[in-house]
Amino acid sequence: MSGDRYRGHLFDPADLAEAVDLDESRRKEVLFAEASLPTWTHWQVLGLEWNAPPEAVRSAYLDKVKIFHPDRYAGKKLGSYRSRLERVFRRLTEARDVLTSETDRAPYVLATAPALEVTRLEARRLEDERRSDERRGRLARHNPLLARAGRITNLMKHGREMMGAGQFTQAANDFQLVASLDPGNTEAGPLAAAARKKAVEARVTECLDKAQAAEAMGGWQGALAAYRAALEIDPAHLRVLILASRAALELGDGNAARDFADQALKVQPRSAAAHEALGVALESVGKRSDARKALERAVEIDPRLDSAKERLKKLRWSFLG
Amino acid sequence: MSDLDPVIGIDLGTTNSVVATVRDGVPRVIPNRSGQPLTPSVVAVAKNGKPLVGSLAKRQAITNAENTVYAAKRLIGRRWGSKEVEDARRVLPYELVAGPEGNDVRVVLGGKPVSVAEISAQVLAELKADAEAWFGGPVTRAVITVPAYFNDGQRQATKDAGRIAGLEVLRIINEPTSAALAYGFGKKLEKKVVVFDLGGGTFDVSVLDIGQSVYDVIAVGGDTYLGGEDFDRRIMDWLTFNFAKENGGVDLRQDKMALQRLRDAAEKAKCELSGTPTADIHLPFLAAAGEGKAALHLTKQLTREKLEELTKDLVERCIAVTEKTLKDAGVRSSQIDEVILVGGMTRMPRVQRAVRDFFGQEPCKGVHPDEVVALGAAIQAQALAAPATPGSEVLLLDVTPQNLGIMVVGGYFQTIIPRNTTVPTNQTHLFTTVQDNQTSVRIAVLQGESDKATDNELLGEFVLAGIRPARRGEVAIEITFDISADGIVGVSARDVDTGQEQSINVTATSGLTEDELKRIIDEHLDDQLEKKQSTADLERARGRVASAVAEVEGLVPAVQKALERSRFGRDAVQKAEGVLARARLALEGKDADELARVSEALERTLQLFKGLAAAPPDGT
Repeated sequence: MSGDRYRGHLFDPADLAEAVDLDESRRKEVLFAEASLPTWTHWQVLGLEWNAPPEAVRSAYLDKVKIFHPDRYAGKKLGSYRSRLERVFRRLTEARDVLTSETDRAPYVLATAPALEVTRLEARRLEDERRSDERRGRLARHNPLLARAGRITNLMKHGREMMGAGQFTQAANDFQLVASLDPGNTEAGPLAAAARKKAVEARVTECLDKAQAAEAMGGWQGALAAYRAALEIDPAHLRVLILASRAALELGDGNAARDFADQALKVQPRSAAAHEALGVALESVGKRSDARKALERAVEIDPRLDSAKERLKKLRWSFLG
Repeated sequence: MSDLDPVIGIDLGTTNSVVATVRDGVPRVIPNRSGQPLTPSVVAVAKNGKPLVGSLAKRQAITNAENTVYAAKRLIGRRWGSKEVEDARRVLPYELVAGPEGNDVRVVLGGKPVSVAEISAQVLAELKADAEAWFGGPVTRAVITVPAYFNDGQRQATKDAGRIAGLEVLRIINEPTSAALAYGFGKKLEKKVVVFDLGGGTFDVSVLDIGQSVYDVIAVGGDTYLGGEDFDRRIMDWLTFNFAKENGGVDLRQDKMALQRLRDAAEKAKCELSGTPTADIHLPFLAAAGEGKAALHLTKQLTREKLEELTKDLVERCIAVTEKTLKDAGVRSSQIDEVILVGGMTRMPRVQRAVRDFFGQEPCKGVHPDEVVALGAAIQAQALAAPATPGSEVLLLDVTPQNLGIMVVGGYFQTIIPRNTTVPTNQTHLFTTVQDNQTSVRIAVLQGESDKATDNELLGEFVLAGIRPARRGEVAIEITFDISADGIVGVSARDVDTGQEQSINVTATSGLTEDELKRIIDEHLDDQLEKKQSTADLERARGRVASAVAEVEGLVPAVQKALERSRFGRDAVQKAEGVLARARLALEGKDADELARVSEALERTLQLFKGLAAAPPDGT
């Protein structure tokens, strides 16, 4: 039996002949274990199969230390065998420590896995991953909570895409939906507001473009309609109000022009251009005195407003005359 | 020396010591010559100059406080000037001085300084003598226990004490581990066990995993300055404070005799309160009140509640240490199968309650808290003396109690072997030089828990020279620490490139220099030789008496025959019978003088008998 155990191992006759109080089989056991330490895995040191459970590790350790702890030979002559025993003992302890450790065991199990086991483990890991993906998908479909979470994620993603593509209305819609699905979501609300603002601006710009194109071709009727459309989207748009006032005047509708200018002043009471527009509109309906006051106010706010100064000068002269 | 020589286990306690052995496979306590299991760890020099040990020394402590040393365990292996020694100096009635090297503590006893190891050796020698009386033969080998948290210096000093007492110390083992050995002896245990050991001067806690007769220590912790003495001191402080308040500021601490009486009374009250709810302390004529006034008496009642209030923080400290040790062991309190209480202080109900609350289970009541440690030491002694015999198949896997390491640049401490590492073990660490062209490096080996090197215990130092000159950081020095099964720490340093190597075996300084130790051991050996000499004389006397008895007995028939024919000496046979009876009695005893007297009488009888047997028949 022992012959088989140590097959292929050459014992140094000097070691076997050392004058110590150990019988030959014990000597061989110690020498063989010591010589094998560098090549053995922790499993082999403890005489265990790969991946033996921690309880087996502990039990094997106890069996082994009873052979390899120097105290088991206390009072006996051990010679060089003392340090050999200690070396084996230390390794046994190290093996036990690693293989029963909550943190070190798993990496060691992987590192020492036989090739076949590695493939098997890898296959199992992939299979596990696939299964868990599948399970997640299934859950998402059937579980209303998970489904909602999935939907929210999708909407947010879509909203951001639309935002990037300039589709602000669509984006605002998405964010608004998220905000109503998940009232705790702090991101969706502000995003929705921002998207809405962008959407309004985009539509107003669109109308303005249309109006400018019409104006350039002398189509004041069309321009005014476009301005009116823009004001429907954003009734407090100062620039559109002033432009609309001018367009109305061009079309000879002084009262409408005056209304637009009044509106503009409500939005921005300190706008020189609005005062000027009001002045021009008032002049056209014959209220010269009020027109003069409005123009004076415009020049007061912005002294560099030359067109207003010019008109004011004329008004004064004609008033005198 | 044969395996059959008896071996003993000694629990060298702060207040009491116990000796035990394993006989016929059963561990048992050896009673001292007064028949008591516990021998007070007290050493004194009586007023007439006679050395006293044990209860004799304790009994005269009150009248001879300056020359009565107790609690030497608190000082053993400690450095002069350390906080522990300074604290002790303030409260101990006997005087302490620095050793000749200025680094250890000497006790002034009988007017001359004596090392602490020698004090402990006297207690050990007393126990050795008790064991020898019990065995009726010499005892030379022992296992001695120390608190698990003792550092190398304290262990070495304890070992030295054993050597001085004439004992070969087979091993120094930890008290809690020892207790676990005794607890598990003869049972087939597969358990995780905590030993909670609150003794006279030290607190220890150990976590063990017991299985297949292997006692695997997972973690140890403790406080070498927390024990029954501290509880006593709280009572004393309370008594002195109240006494001063009631008697216009009379300070009892100035009076050594009063202090000693207070100490005894405090200890007694504390023990009483473990069984009863109140204890009365009555110390008449405790202090003088000044000229012409009657002496002052102290009469006070201490309740259990008051005691618990006075010592609340001490109990809390124990639990805090226990918690930390469990954390070190990586074990939750609920995973512990059994809690073993050791040490007299664990009789205190408050301590038991704290343990029960912490572990959520009733602590084990099956062990004798005072004797269990000595019993375990005896079991380990037996295992080390005769490892192969059945019944002694225990194997102890102990751990290092504190971090071991070296001092690195900046005065920091670099741990190489962390605490709670199973021994035997070895660890290697690589260091580099810190200066350009540095050719030597001083390696200071330290033990302790602090990051600052100077706060830790210095175990030894050595120099590795012959390093190849190079820029700093370019030379690699490999430091290896090696701890053998019997706890000897070896340190070696090697220059990786040149192979230059230096190593030392760290023998911690117990305070005694090797020369001093040798001298003390020689002195004690002389004592022992004398004792041995007298034993040999006794044996010879016995031999003489025994052979004379046999010779006389052999002659009786011839003498009787001769007397039948003679008128003389008819009562000779009767007289001879009397002498023989006395001789047989003397052979059983050990009285050398009696043996000598009997021997003489036998000689005379023999001469007479020879004459009679050879006498010609009476003619008429």
